Amino acid sequence: MNVLKAGITEFIRITVVLLTVVILKVALLLSVITLPAIARDVVYASTYLVPTAPDTLIHGASILTGTGELIQSGYLVLANGVIEKIGAGTPAAMDDYALVIDASGKWLTPGIIDIHSHLGNSASPSYNAHWDTNESTSPVTSEVWVEHSVWPQDPQFPLALAGGITSLQILPGSANLFGGRSIVLKNVSSRSVQGMKFPGAPYGLKMACGENPKRVYGKKSGPKTRMGNFAHYRKTWIDAQEYQRKWASYHHEIMEYRAHKLESNGKKMIVPVEPKRNLQLETLVGVLEGNIRVHNHCYRADEMAQIIDLSKEFGYQVTAFHHAVEAYKIADLLAENNICAAMWADWTRFKLESFDGINENVALVAAAGACAIVHSDSATGIQRLNQEAAKALAAGRRMGLEISEAEAIRWITLNPADALGISKQTGSLESGKMADVVLWNRNPFSVYARAEKVFIDGSLVFDLEKDLKPVTDFELGQRVREI
Amino acid sequence: MRFIPSCLLLAFLLLTVLLGSSQLKGDIQQSYLIKNGTLLTMTEQGTIKNGDILVQDGRIVKIGVHLTVDSSVELIDVGGAIVTPGLFDSGTQLGLAEVGTSSISGDDRAKGQQLGAGFSISLALNRHSSMIPMARRMGITRAMVVPQPGSEPLSGQSALVQLGGSSKFAIDKSNAVHLYIREADRKLVGGSRASLLMQVLESFHEARRYQKNIRAYQRGKTRKFRQSEPDLKALTRVLSGDIPLVIHIDRAADIELVLDELSMFDLRIVLSGAREAWKVRDQLVQQNIPVLLNVIDNLPRKFDRLGARLDNASLLVEAGVLVAFKTADLYTNTRMLTQGAGIAVAYGLDWEDALRAITVNPAKIWGLNNSGVLAAGSVADLVIWDGDPLEVMSAPTRLMIDGQWISLRTRQDLLRERYSHLEEKTVPYGYR
Repeated sequence: MNVLKAGITEFIRITVVLLTVVILKVALLLSVITLPAIARDVVYASTYLVPTAPDTLIHGASILTGTGELIQSGYLVLANGVIEKIGAGTPAAMDDYALVIDASGKWLTPGIIDIHSHLGNSASPSYNAHWDTNESTSPVTSEVWVEHSVWPQDPQFPLALAGGITSLQILPGSANLFGGRSIVLKNVSSRSVQGMKFPGAPYGLKMACGENPKRVYGKKSGPKTRMGNFAHYRKTWIDAQEYQRKWASYHHEIMEYRAHKLESNGKKMIVPVEPKRNLQLETLVGVLEGNIRVHNHCYRADEMAQIIDLSKEFGYQVTAFHHAVEAYKIADLLAENNICAAMWADWTRFKLESFDGINENVALVAAAGACAIVHSDSATGIQRLNQEAAKALAAGRRMGLEISEAEAIRWITLNPADALGISKQTGSLESGKMADVVLWNRNPFSVYARAEKVFIDGSLVFDLEKDLKPVTDFELGQRVREI
Repeated sequence: MRFIPSCLLLAFLLLTVLLGSSQLKGDIQQSYLIKNGTLLTMTEQGTIKNGDILVQDGRIVKIGVHLTVDSSVELIDVGGAIVTPGLFDSGTQLGLAEVGTSSISGDDRAKGQQLGAGFSISLALNRHSSMIPMARRMGITRAMVVPQPGSEPLSGQSALVQLGGSSKFAIDKSNAVHLYIREADRKLVGGSRASLLMQVLESFHEARRYQKNIRAYQRGKTRKFRQSEPDLKALTRVLSGDIPLVIHIDRAADIELVLDELSMFDLRIVLSGAREAWKVRDQLVQQNIPVLLNVIDNLPRKFDRLGARLDNASLLVEAGVLVAFKTADLYTNTRMLTQGAGIAVAYGLDWEDALRAITVNPAKIWGLNNSGVLAAGSVADLVIWDGDPLEVMSAPTRLMIDGQWISLRTRQDLLRERYSHLEEKTVPYGYR
């Protein structure tokens, strides 16, 4: 029976894959013919394949679903890369599964998602030869794509996996006003970045306010001041609008041409000439058309308020303010404008614009009804985002806010998934979603908790007890598995 | 006519009484009995449940169960809460910087000066820094303030500070000389570990020559020394065993090499950073060398720390090395001290050993007698907690330094209070 079942499953799988490939190819073909520049982005496509994994049942665990619920003692079924079932108690038939894990006394959460990381583009060991963080050669470098910087052999990826990180956004640095495109990755071992790319995740655009751009360019081309920052933003968006119009009119002309080929007087129409692509403006047009999400590094409340007005002036949406240490001062404004704040739990005073950071920041943003996210921006912090969420939760409770652990886990799961545009696929434990799951040896809001097992798309990629973890090429013979 | 003098006398008496009473309230005269604590003594007494601590004149006078005192002593029932000695952070920038970026407040190093071991950061300390209340908020009552490498690998002398807010800030203005021999420090001397170590050895030889010929030196009858007199004086103290040499070093091979080369001087050595110390733990035990660790530092960021790992502390302690924790991280500062200790526990360290690494062990390393423990005769630095001190969700509820209750408020609290009610639209924020 099982063999037959597996055979049918395999047949369905292959059919689905083939159909998807055909549909994608047709879509690609169509898009090249009819759609604007942005559709060309189906290059450097994800080659990530869901690995085959045994059907797995995990039962007896406390489950933080990521949707705001806590199931005291529940079970989870992982099959074909997705969460097949989730529920309280135990399922009727326990022996239908190739792998059964008794998780009594343990905790399950969705795979942890870090919305702000530089793993791979600020790799270890850290030398100039490895420093691919930031194309800090001009205040506007929206033409760069960070995926062309990411080194998949960065030994920091496995360290993050040991902390339960299953998906992460890699961003260019913050020296530029427009830093370039971000990329969302699955934290999987791969020879290429394409093999890590989160299938279907939208691109992001890194922007930055404040100290960094004016520090880096103040002695070069400028901007030297915050008003200079804004003048550059506005000028650049105006350029992007013009570029958008140029392509729109080209598309209009080509439609006309295809429809008629002849002018009203019977003469042949001149074939419209396709404008030359401008990578820098193409990404910005992607933002204006709502296909690329803006991730804006911005510390101070007053600057965030200015950026919100900038986005209104040019008609785009800011998805998230990153490092928003003063988000608590404008939490109502963030809620009103549907903008997430990605924050540290307690970082403050490492630079002047971080001077007013407070530990209650995350909790206050959540309490105002805005989307709160805990991020790391650090290769050490990413190893324990659960503890960072715990600190933020404790600070909120200490000031009298009522926040449950089930709510707080969203700060590092569903909320970042939402902001990254991948919440339909991952970020919570709901049936049909990718089986990105962490099994913790105790309550993840404890400093003593460790990720015991990590599943990505249903596949066991980290196991503390069995010492199962990816070893990067770099580490072989010198860090682990010594000769 | 006699009215005025008696009036003056009365006023004088009143003033004396008032001053006296304020002295009583604000100074170390007050006695307290802290009742019903779960006392983590950090001594052979271990944990005392339902324990009492009698504090008098800034000291712990008695510790035990059901202590009885006379009515002049103020009783504080802590209802079973955990009480620990005040915590000690063995690597901070407290009093040296308001903002981490050194371009804004760069008092932590001497650059381009003829100053190496002689550079004393105690002369730059600001005891009014608003970073200090933030450290207290983490339960830290004492700390080491460490010079960073400026132009010389022998970068200067650290100070021990006490965070009680009184004028007694630096309790030891020069508790150690610091030497940096990490991969990044090679650039200070010729770009090679060899040239760096050669200069350091030469510096010690020079200091020994100075030590033997101080009179001739002062009469100007010695040949020229490379180091300045403050440098030579500081190294003399290290040579005589008066203060230890703290070596900031990571690579296991470097540790072996440097210990070997320095052995001729018979110094008291403490290692700091020491990301690969676990590899040479047997040698460290043998030579009785303590280690200062930033627990969370497990990234292979340079070739000299490929062996960095989270169980460094656990492996060292298991072997018998005396370990203390430090933070010294630009972004997280003192906030990571207890969390780091907790992480060390998650990676195999015994829970009490983790607490020792932030209380009694640093006191031992720095020769702070009667500190870092809850014991009769020890300094009354203590913290009352709302939970396990190493847990990320716990925090101190009260803090005593030198027998005085110290406020836990920070400017962060004021900011929070100001912005807790965004729905209130009438009072401008500057007036809240």
